[in-house]
Formats: sequence, structure tokens, C-alpha cells
Amino acid sequence: MSEVLARLVRSPQGAIGLGIVSLVGIAVVAGPWLAPHDPNAISILARYKPPGGQYLLGTDQLGRDLLSRLLHGAQSTVIMAAIATLCGTVMGALIGTTSAYVGGRTDDAVMRTIDAVMAIPSLLMSLLVVSMLGRSQANAVLAIAIAFTPGMARITRSVALAVRKQDYVSAAIARGEGTAYIVMGEMVPNVVAPIIVEMTIRVAFSVMLFATLSFLGLGAQPPTPEWGLMVSEARKFMHLSTWMILWPCCAIALVAIGFNLLGDGLRDALNPRT
Amino acid sequence: MSLAYALRRCGLMVYTLLVVSIIVFGVTQILPADAAVVLLGENATPEQLAALRDRLGLNDPAWQQYARWLGGVLTGDFGISVRTGQPVLPTILDALSRSLLLALLSIGFMLVIAVPLGIAAATRRGQLGDIAFGIVSYVGVSLPEFVTATLIILLLADTFKLLPATGYVPLGEDFVAGLKHLVLPVVTVSLIMVAHVSRMIRSELVDALHSDYVRAARMKGLPETRVVYGHALRNALLPTITIVALDVGYVLGGIIVVEEIFAIPGIGRQIIIAIQSRDLLMIQAGALTLATTYAVMNFLADLAYAVVDKRIQYE
Amino acid sequence: MSDAPILAVADYTLDYRTRLGAVRALDAIELTVGRGEVVGLVGESGSGKTSLAWAIMRALPANAIELRGTIRLGAVDLRAQSGTDMTHIRGRRIGMVFQDPAASLNPTLTLGAQFVEALTTHHGLSQAEAWSEGERMFARVGLADPPALMRRYPHEASGGEKQRVIIATAFACRPELILFDEPTTALDVITARQILDLFLELQRETGVASLYISHDLAVVSQIASRVAVIQRGRIVEQGGVSAVFARPAHAYTRQLLAAVPRADRRLVAEMSGHGKQLAAVRDLTVRYGRPSLIADLLGRTKPMVTGNRAISIEIRWGEILGIVGESGSGKSTLARALTGLARFEGSLLFDGKRIGGATDMTGGYRRDVQIVFQHPDSSLNPRQRIRDILGRPFRLYGVPDGRPIAEAIADLLRLVRLPAEFADRFPHQLSGGEKQRVAIARAFASRPRLVICDEVTSSLDVSVQAAVIELLVDLQRKSGAAYIFISHDINLVRQIAHRIAVMYRGELVETIAPEQLSTHGPTHPYTAALMAAVPTIRAATTHAGGTS
Repeated sequence: MSEVLARLVRSPQGAIGLGIVSLVGIAVVAGPWLAPHDPNAISILARYKPPGGQYLLGTDQLGRDLLSRLLHGAQSTVIMAAIATLCGTVMGALIGTTSAYVGGRTDDAVMRTIDAVMAIPSLLMSLLVVSMLGRSQANAVLAIAIAFTPGMARITRSVALAVRKQDYVSAAIARGEGTAYIVMGEMVPNVVAPIIVEMTIRVAFSVMLFATLSFLGLGAQPPTPEWGLMVSEARKFMHLSTWMILWPCCAIALVAIGFNLLGDGLRDALNPRT
Repeated sequence: MSLAYALRRCGLMVYTLLVVSIIVFGVTQILPADAAVVLLGENATPEQLAALRDRLGLNDPAWQQYARWLGGVLTGDFGISVRTGQPVLPTILDALSRSLLLALLSIGFMLVIAVPLGIAAATRRGQLGDIAFGIVSYVGVSLPEFVTATLIILLLADTFKLLPATGYVPLGEDFVAGLKHLVLPVVTVSLIMVAHVSRMIRSELVDALHSDYVRAARMKGLPETRVVYGHALRNALLPTITIVALDVGYVLGGIIVVEEIFAIPGIGRQIIIAIQSRDLLMIQAGALTLATTYAVMNFLADLAYAVVDKRIQYE
Repeated sequence: MSDAPILAVADYTLDYRTRLGAVRALDAIELTVGRGEVVGLVGESGSGKTSLAWAIMRALPANAIELRGTIRLGAVDLRAQSGTDMTHIRGRRIGMVFQDPAASLNPTLTLGAQFVEALTTHHGLSQAEAWSEGERMFARVGLADPPALMRRYPHEASGGEKQRVIIATAFACRPELILFDEPTTALDVITARQILDLFLELQRETGVASLYISHDLAVVSQIASRVAVIQRGRIVEQGGVSAVFARPAHAYTRQLLAAVPRADRRLVAEMSGHGKQLAAVRDLTVRYGRPSLIADLLGRTKPMVTGNRAISIEIRWGEILGIVGESGSGKSTLARALTGLARFEGSLLFDGKRIGGATDMTGGYRRDVQIVFQHPDSSLNPRQRIRDILGRPFRLYGVPDGRPIAEAIADLLRLVRLPAEFADRFPHQLSGGEKQRVAIARAFASRPRLVICDEVTSSLDVSVQAAVIELLVDLQRKSGAAYIFISHDINLVRQIAHRIAVMYRGELVETIAPEQLSTHGPTHPYTAALMAAVPTIRAATTHAGGTS
């Protein structure tokens, strides 16, 4: 583990990505505690404040402190996105490995169907699910997880098939090892690494998707300080204050950049041969 | 490309559409506990609900409902919109034409920018320009459409008053004004794809430039331009066809947001309006149309790939 | 002027910049190639022989640092040439032929287009002129139906055909010098022989000077007039081929020569009489592939690929059975069938028990029959330590004498002559030869009665191969296990096998004892073709009697 970490920080992508994601992690864990103000405290006298003074990043149309809202919002945005990605990955990995392991016509049929499901764009799929289940944060998480499942299934399967062809798996079969050991002992450790990489990159995508759903009014609901929702609310007032729209945009972009970089860094760090 | 391959691929597309129709129908009609409630809202009386259920055949088994719906779809009868009282199909086709225009312009614009950008970065690998490209492209893939759109409106339309921020003018009515209204949406939709595709082209081209056959071409004494454009680029662009085809799905998703923000009456905006007004038949028709568009584009891309890459029919 | 060399490398020294500092790749290289001369450059992997080729072509990687020395082509100082200058020299004055013809042709361009571009670039020929010259050259290098072949893509041609196209391209520009970088290594034995013959013919005809880079001493001894032996960036010995190979002055040359498999130097004791039968296969057939659903629906039956057709053979206790064949001959398929990795038809009898398929291969059979694969990079799990890799068979079959597992692993490592500390390492921290030793150790952990060695040395260097073979022979003597030794190298098999089975296109064409092969020759024409194709060291065999 420490070896992987050492290799990770050696590449610029890995180092910067890890730095950003760590910062985001701190905001997620300690955000509410770090926040200087109550995120929902309305102050009519301090509306549309630019950054500076008492309000480090300024205030919004109700005089709420933007920094505090962003720090509180980290939880609703990033954690939800991560949970959605994790659920999608687990479901996808289960389908993918099972399909690769069963093989034959079942595998063909499953993969053709997965391809077909992927014809529905992720955003559309999440929109459909959320609009039918009702608009809420939990449903948005479920929707994104469902939208991610086919893609992850496809990736897991191709990785699992590539590993399945390796001679160390043949050697284990020839040795008379049981299926459980072959899958868990020989295959899984080699399949997990590329999936972790893909998952990390998808957290970035998930943050973007989640914010988009909230922006469209289908994810988090007011007054939650969710970043996409903050952008959506701020749009009506952008003539009065640019800052209140800029900060949540930057926050979303920063988190997405961080996970994208971390994913690319991990790709190299987790390869045992480099 | 062999006929057998085209037929097989065509069969796959039909299967794709079948699966998509099942999902769209399933999600919209089976998933909600009661479609009648979705349609009438929480305040409907039990009598109203029962009457609607009866009228829509919601008490029939799911497969019968699906078969009835699919039969309608196949004969071009998507039903009547509860919001407008008009047939769904003409509305959808109208919206689709605008969305397709936006999508095709975006893909075209994206290719015009992304291909030269990817080539420029790959041929300057490790130099300052390439590093700058790397940083910018990371930012590019990390900006959701609503952020890009908002920032672009803030910067170009609002601050400098260069272009109209929102609205749609048909090209047939006023070509110049129509184009002006399309600039910002096209830029927004293509930005994330430019970042993604140019990164793809860069990495494929870097790989190709390090391949044995490119080295062999160099050792034949071919000039560098011929090595890059005649040998490496051919191979680097092949996988890009597939990537672009897959990105079309992303474009079609992005279009939903962009149409909403820029108030373009396309299929994405129809879907959002339909969702807001619980117009079930319109949601189904919109989603099905969008997915069909994607499936057809992917089908065409695969055929194009098979024509360009001679190896594929042998696999 | 005629005695001035075409290529002259003097005091050439090259470093590579790495994370661990500068690494010397070439050290004070002195090498000349005269007009019409073929110079062989022999060395193992990592010796720097390919670096020298890239240095001559001015195509060194970015981390190369040239410290000193000169490279001259006739009167031209190659190191002083700019990038554009070199495009007029590459291809036109120095041609190059590469190791892997499949990788060095662009998959998206026709063979004809890739030939033609060289001529249009260098000799200003029109497209049509170059195309007809191509048809002439393709015919000259022995390609059938040149007009059709020129319109084909690389994947539609065989490996031998592709290499002929590359050779045709190199010779068509009439360069003064051609560099050959292991041009036959990626090819099958018989194809390689044909390519070698083609090279000799064209070389004699055109008189082009050639630098022939190879790890194969036998090949070099047959085609070169002078040879240079390179070891870790230094040329340790050079001179006339017959002189160097007959009376090698440097220890490394002697070591290399001794490592080359020679049929007349047996490494194993003969079997005493006829041993008892250990295993027997009767009419073993393996088919690959499965009919596709679409083909079924269309009523078409896709022919299944046959890997093995009705193989019958027996293996005796403690015997080394060599199996020889080219790629695609089905020799590895047989290994996969015997280890339950491929479904087979027919019967397999092991130690008197009938084995119908993978389900009959119980713990006892698995323990008794072990396999070692060709590529240790693939057969050793990259995420497991050597300890875990070697511990696995013990966990599965139990540790002999009930000793602690760590002790057994240390013993196993000692058995294959590796230090016990290697248990802590990961496979990527070991060299190719060391990794293969680990794979061998894993096979011997269960004290098997039959070990299947599937091309276990073909990815290794000559000297490493010799050491691994010696280890295998030693292990066989100590353990008494029988081997099925699969290889494409008939000389190697003749050195160690008690009986040789020759496979061709999925069939067993002949089984013969090595003594009989030496005294009476082969009975099947394919075996004869195979033996004729394998190059042997010319100088050593002719001069050996005189020097020792």
C-alpha cells in the first residue's frame, strides 16, 4: 500500500490529484466544523457581498456565507457521487465477472444487452429514473448508480477476460486449484486495479452528473447547499453577483479535475511492471 | 466490408432498439408505483384514478401494456400529449430536427478543433505546448455542460454582449441570426468532447509514432510529414472513430442540459418539460427517439469503421 | 578507393540516461563493414547490438547521450547529419530490415503502397513506374502472383511473405549498406531458412555491404565473412568467421559457442532398456472454437479448428520425450489437453488409470502431472510474491515430511539454484532466467512423475537457455520424473530427448530415437525438411577436430 502511494506521488498527475482529492476529503469530513458561518443563516444586510472581510468568498442573494455553503455542500455533492459510483461499480463488476466466467452464449447475450442499454445516455437514464421515482438526493444516487452499471460491467468483463487468458490462471487450473481460489486468489487481485482506476475517474463524472441533476432541479432540493443547485439558484442573480455563480462552478471543476488526475496517476502506480 | 457483417450489425441495432424500448417503457410505466398518480398528481380522487387506470389499460398485465404501446410506436402512433392535447409524434419530429442540427454542428465543430489539437500535442510530446494542452484538457473534461454554459453566457454574452445568450431562431427564417443563436450552444456541447477526443487522438498518435511500423517508415527515409500523416495518423484515427461514436451518446445527454439553458426547443427541452408536466407519453417518445438516434449513429460509425479498417471482417 | 570501408564506427561510446543515473550502452565500439562484405554482430539481449543499429541510423531514443566516437558512411560523418539530411540517407544509402515483419508493416496500407513509397521518395519514380518495379522485385524475392499481393494488406499475407516484401523494399533502393536486425527471429524454422537463402542470393547478386545483427551464432556462421561478438556494450572479439568460431579467443565467445545446442553433444544418459509405460494417449483429438448462433440460424456450419488430430503416443517412466514442430503444429495443444486445459476426444491412460477429461483429473493426477509454460511473465502472477507462488502447491498437495512451509520453499529455491531470499520478491524483480527457474520450482514442488515443458527456454538468451536446460536435466536425473519436452528447436531436442516426436499441422508425423536420427536420418520428409532448415555452426563443425 505504501509502495503504491510512493509510486503515485512520483508522477505529477498522481501527486496533484492526490493533493486535490485529499483537500476535498478534508472538506467532506471536517467541512461543517471548518465552516465559519451557518450555511443557512440568512442575513438581509449582507447580500451579494464580494469576497473579503467577514465573508471569505462573499455571500449570496440571501446573505448566506458562500464558503460555509461550499464546505457543507461538499458532503452532499462528493459523498453522494462517490456512493453512486461505488454502487454502480459493484453492480457492474458482479455482472461483468459473472458474464466473463460463465462465458459462451450467455456471455454473448449479456454483453449485447449491455451494449443496448448503453444506447441510453447516462444523463437521460438518470433523468428517467429520478423523474419516475421522485426528485430526491437518494433517488439521484440510485439513478446514477443504475446509469453507471452497464459501462462498468463492460470494462470489468474485458479486464476479467484478459486476465483469464493469462498462463498463471492456466497454471492454477492445471494444478487442480478450486474455482474459489482461482477467482479470488489469482484473478481478482489483477482485475481490481484497473477497476479502481476506472472507478476513480468515474467519481469525477459522477460529481458532474449529480450536480447536473441538481442543477435541473431533480437532485438535491433547496435549501441544501449542493453545488449544482447553488449554480442553478445563482443564475437568476448573476447580474448582481458573479462570485456566487463562480465559486460552486470552480468547486465542481476542482473535484472533477482532482479525481481525473488521481485516476490517471493510479493507472501507472498500480501497474506492478513499471 | 462484407454483407454478412452489415447484416449482423443491423440485427444488433434492431436488438438494441428493442431493449431500449423495453427499458424506456419499463422505467416510465412499470417503475412508478402507479402511473395514474404520476399523471394526475397526488390530489386526484380515487374515482378519477380508477377511471384513468381503466382508460389507459393500467390494470392489464405489463407485457400487454408494452405490446400495445410498442404496436403504436411501430405504426407511428405515440399517443396524445396530456400537456398540449396534440399528437406526440409531430412535436417530437419537430424537436428532433433542431436537436440533430445542434448535435451535428457540435460534432463537426469538435472534429475541426480536436483533430489538429491532438496532432499538434502528440508531435510536440513533452514540450511546453503539450504540457499546456494536458492541463487545459484536464480542465476541459472536468467541466459539466451546465457549468460551461453558465460561464460562457457570463463571459461572452453578458459581459461583452457579443452574442445572444438564449433563444432559438430557425435558420430558414433568418440565417445569420439563427447561426448567432447556435454559436454558444455548439461551443458548450463540443467543449468537453474536444477535450476528450483530442486527448484520445494525442495518446493514440503518440502510441502510433512509437510503433515499429512507423519506425520502419522512418528508416525507409520518408520525410517526417509523410511519416506522421501517411503512416501514423491513419492508424491513430481508426480507434478515434469508435470513441467519437461513443461520445455521441454523451453529446445527446449534454444536449438535454444545453437546450434547457439556452432555451432551444429541441428534444432535450421537450423531455425536461415533459418530466416537469408529467407528460408520460412525451417522455417515452423523447427518450426513445434520443436513444434511437444514438443507436443509428453508432451503427453508421461501425459500418464506416469496417470500410476503413480492412481487418475487422476477418475477426 | 575500393578498400575504404562502407561503414566505419570508431571509438563510439553511448550512455542512456535513466532514473538510476547514466547507463553505458556502447563502449568504445570499433567496427567496419567493407564493400560487399557481410559482417555479423552477435550478442545476447541487452548487449547493445540494437542500440548500435539505431546509432548508425541516427534514430536513438531521446535519453541517449553520445559521449564520443565517429560513425562514417563512406566519406560522410553520420553524426554530423541533420534530421532532414538523414532522410536522404535512410532507405536510399542505408537500408534496414527488422525483426518482426508483422509489426514493421503498416496494417492500414497495402504491401504495394509501402514498397512504392520508398522508390518514389528516393529515386523520383512515378507511381506507375514504381508499381511495375514493385511487381518485378516481388517476383525477384520469390513472391507468387506479385500484382495480386501488392494490392493486399499485411494481415492478408504470411509472415514469410511480409519479410520478403520488406527485403524487396530494402534492396529496391539499391543502398550501399543494409542493416539486418534479427530478420529471421520471429519466423518459423523453415521460413527462416528460406529468408536466409534469399538474403544470401540477393547479397551475392548485388554485392551490398551488410551488417547482420543476431543472437544466433549458427546463422551468423553461415552467412557472414567476419563476426564481432558484443557483450554488455563492448565488442570482446572480432575477426574472420572461421577463425573466431574455430578458435575463440575470448571467454565469453567460448561460453556462447558452448551454449549453442548441438545434436552431437548429448546431455542425458541413455535410458536403460525399455521402461514401463507411464502414460499413453490413443487417438487424441482436440478441436477449438464453438459454432456461432448466427451461423446456426443461417444453417451454416463453421468448420471447427482442429488443434490435434488423432495423436497416439506413450511416455515411459523417467523418459524425456521431445516434441518438435513449428508454430501451429499442435504441440502446445497436446500439452494443454494433458493438463486439462483443453477438451479432448480419444483416450488417455495414466499409470493404468483411464482419464476421460478434465473431471477425471483428480488431485492425484494433478500432483503427478505438472506443466511449465513458455513465458514466465505470464505464468507467474505479477501480484504474488515468490513465496506465495511456490507455497501454493504445498498448500494444495501438502508439504512432504510435514516440515514447515517456509523451509520447503527455501529448499525448492535451492533446488533450482536460486537464493532463498528470493522468496520475498515479486516476479518483476527477477530476470527472465530466474523467473523461469521459479516456474520450474513450482512444478517440482509436488514431486511429479511427469513434467510438461512447453517451450520453456525459447524466450531466453542462449547462455541462459543452456543453464536452464542443464538444470532441467539435473532435476530429471535426481527426481526420476518423465518429461514431455516441447520445442521448435530440433537441435535442442536432439540433445536431451530419449525419443523425438515430430508434429506437423496437428498431426504426429513420426516418432524416432535420436541415435537413429543421427545414424539413419529421418523417415518422414517433414522431419528431413526441419533438420535441413536448422542452421548449425559451420566453422565449429568443420574445424572442431583440428583444434581440440
